[in-house]
Amino acid sequence: MKNPDAIVIGAGIVGACAALSLTNAGLKVLIIDRGTVASGTTGAGEGNILVSDKDPGPELTLALKSRDLWFEMQEDVGDSFELEAKGGVVVARTDDSQLMALAQSQSKHGVITEKLDSVRLHELEPYLHPELSSGVLYPQDAQCQPMLAAARIIQSVIARGGELVMRSKVLGFNLAHGAMKGVVTSTGEYSSPIVINAAGTWAGEIAALADSYLPVAPRRGFILVTEPAPQYIFHKVYDSDYVVNVASSDADLQTSTVVEGTRSGTILIGASRERIGFDSTMNYEIVRKLAAQATSLFPILRDVQLLRVYRGFRPYAPDHLPLIGEDSTVKGFWHSAGHEGAGIGLAPGSAALITDAILGRDSFMDPHAFSPKRFAEVLK
Amino acid sequence: MIAIVGAGPAGLAAAMTAAQGGEEIVVIDSAPRPGGQYWRHLNQVEGYKSGRSEKYFEALRERKNVIHISGAQIWSAVPGENSITLNYLADGIESSITVQKIILATGAHDRAIPFTGWERPGVMTPGAAQALLKGHNVMAGQQILITGTGPFLLPVAVGLAAAGADVVGIVEAHSPLRWLMSPVALALNPQKALELLYYIRKIAKYKLKIRFNQAVVAFDGKSATIAKVSKDLTTKKIVSKVHCDVVAAGWGFSPDVTLGGILGCKQIVDLDGTVIFAVDNHQRSSQPNIWIAGEATGIGGADLALIEGRIAGLSALGLGISLRLRFQRYRLQKFARALQVSYPVGNGWQGWLRSESKVCRCEEVSLGEICSSVTELSANDARTSKLFTRAGMGMCQGRICSRNVSEIIGVQTQCQVTDQERIAYSNRPIAAPISLGALTDGIK
Repeated sequence: MKNPDAIVIGAGIVGACAALSLTNAGLKVLIIDRGTVASGTTGAGEGNILVSDKDPGPELTLALKSRDLWFEMQEDVGDSFELEAKGGVVVARTDDSQLMALAQSQSKHGVITEKLDSVRLHELEPYLHPELSSGVLYPQDAQCQPMLAAARIIQSVIARGGELVMRSKVLGFNLAHGAMKGVVTSTGEYSSPIVINAAGTWAGEIAALADSYLPVAPRRGFILVTEPAPQYIFHKVYDSDYVVNVASSDADLQTSTVVEGTRSGTILIGASRERIGFDSTMNYEIVRKLAAQATSLFPILRDVQLLRVYRGFRPYAPDHLPLIGEDSTVKGFWHSAGHEGAGIGLAPGSAALITDAILGRDSFMDPHAFSPKRFAEVLK
Repeated sequence: MIAIVGAGPAGLAAAMTAAQGGEEIVVIDSAPRPGGQYWRHLNQVEGYKSGRSEKYFEALRERKNVIHISGAQIWSAVPGENSITLNYLADGIESSITVQKIILATGAHDRAIPFTGWERPGVMTPGAAQALLKGHNVMAGQQILITGTGPFLLPVAVGLAAAGADVVGIVEAHSPLRWLMSPVALALNPQKALELLYYIRKIAKYKLKIRFNQAVVAFDGKSATIAKVSKDLTTKKIVSKVHCDVVAAGWGFSPDVTLGGILGCKQIVDLDGTVIFAVDNHQRSSQPNIWIAGEATGIGGADLALIEGRIAGLSALGLGISLRLRFQRYRLQKFARALQVSYPVGNGWQGWLRSESKVCRCEEVSLGEICSSVTELSANDARTSKLFTRAGMGMCQGRICSRNVSEIIGVQTQCQVTDQERIAYSNRPIAAPISLGALTDGIK
């Protein structure tokens, strides 16, 4: 494609959704990626589409809209990526007052919640440890297979006139008078007045190539994958510490339990969070800790075999909010990155915000809180 | 203390050598009995020099400074300062051992290549047929057809025939004339002619029928379809159907590099596309205090493994390596190289498959699904295709199918499989499955 209307950098879920949204708005879109489809953080995720782990505020508004857009997008793309509203069950390990207060405030902002007593909790999750007695059901929480989703969405973009170039590394940008003119890559130059940086954890490096600044850092996570097992787990089940850890800025290791089954029968166990750069060294102590937390929620998992562990790097911004909007200095340079562990869930909503902003349309919410300019202002 | 991982020829030779130096030795092996894939004797099995393993078994049993931990699966390894901790499972219980030095002799397993019907009962590797016979005294079936490529097919056929099996044929994909491409290797290894003569006599004795330049390309449970194949295994024409209930198919070997990979030992890609470790002439890996011997440094057979094991044992004791040993290794390495040249495994097998033929048996992923992940979902490497199709995600964690999936993607995208990709699919952070309960109980 010689002169696309817009170039999207990154073939992960955020880039894929942005490309689809722009294509549906009538633009000719070129997607480039230095690797392959879903070869970054998208390919290392569980496919979380969650509203339960968000405090009331702009991110929750985005998450709620985004969740609905996921189901609309499935209709639009007309193909399966294992999207399922399986619901989330958050379990209080000890004192449930914090969890109940959070659920209360979330329910005032459009989140459907159901407080669970011991009987109802064990009805929903019969294999939970018998001593656990309190939790909250979030029926809106959903899941998809994120790699398949990215691939299917990009396939729709291509079918509608877009193009994908893989193994194309961005080397620099052509700028003129502070405005975007195009991208210089290892596979050639592409001209376009609009470029969207959806490079996830590596979005900061891309921004730097345009002499801009985007504070995105990696936050490492491990996920354990077991052998296929009978269905022991019926929802996405996590302990209430998870919400605290997601919002934490601590650099040290944090682990909280997230356990869920998949369609293939394997069980996924997370989630650890560490800020130690792009270090992919295996840490077996983290593996043990995650296993121990999972077996303490579900004792039946003690006999299930661990087959594999994978790690990924969540794109993390200092205030835990994604960076969605135009660059602080370069006109026509847009960012949609820094979604941390919520990128799958927030991708379609972020794509809608970006498309609306590029076309100068009104959006479903005020995107100001996500503006990348918030850090430029801090710098000044 | 020196830990030796693996009790096949390389590990046993390393253990015996290192034990002579008086060091404390621990041999950790996953099998209940020592011997590895090659020497897994229960009863006496007919084969060239099959009695020579006895002295190694004796050293393992009798020497006071040698401990043998059998039936132990090492699932992880953690390097410390001047020590390495190995975590292993035996009978579902986790234990660990911390040692100063390690000799890895983790061996290899047969490489399997898919063909139409290979997921049926009765299809196995020659190694599995041999293991059933040697380890369990069980005959794999009534009428056994042996196919694939390489000299390993001969001892399997002879061993099975001698034990009373009806071996209905040996179907070798290449011509023995290919050895003429390696005159130096042959000249350096006259002793190999004796081994060959031994097997020629046995083949005559048991009236085994060998076909060359042919391969089994399909199996329907009752009979195998045999085709004439070209050098890269492309089917030229179907030549016959042979009645059999077992097809033992072996296409060279895949070294087990998992543990060395976890410990960060440098890996390279060999001429035959297998991932092996880079070692120096003392069998030292790129990591301090880790030596590697045997198939994991390049497929070469038991003779080479024995020499490499001895060298690793000597070096771990801090001793020098004699010129004689070095020469023996050199000439056997030359022979190993000639094996690779004589018995290549090209990609023509992909044409044996139908679209619905399974490539990954654990997750039941077909050739068609892998191809459409390329054409419809833009996968252009094996990792992406696996994420889309689940090929290689099952119980065996891709030990059987990963390489085949990569080769298929390579042909589909018309790109050579990169060394980086080969190394990626050969490694995994969890060397053996472990229960979440055992992991939980292992918290310090």
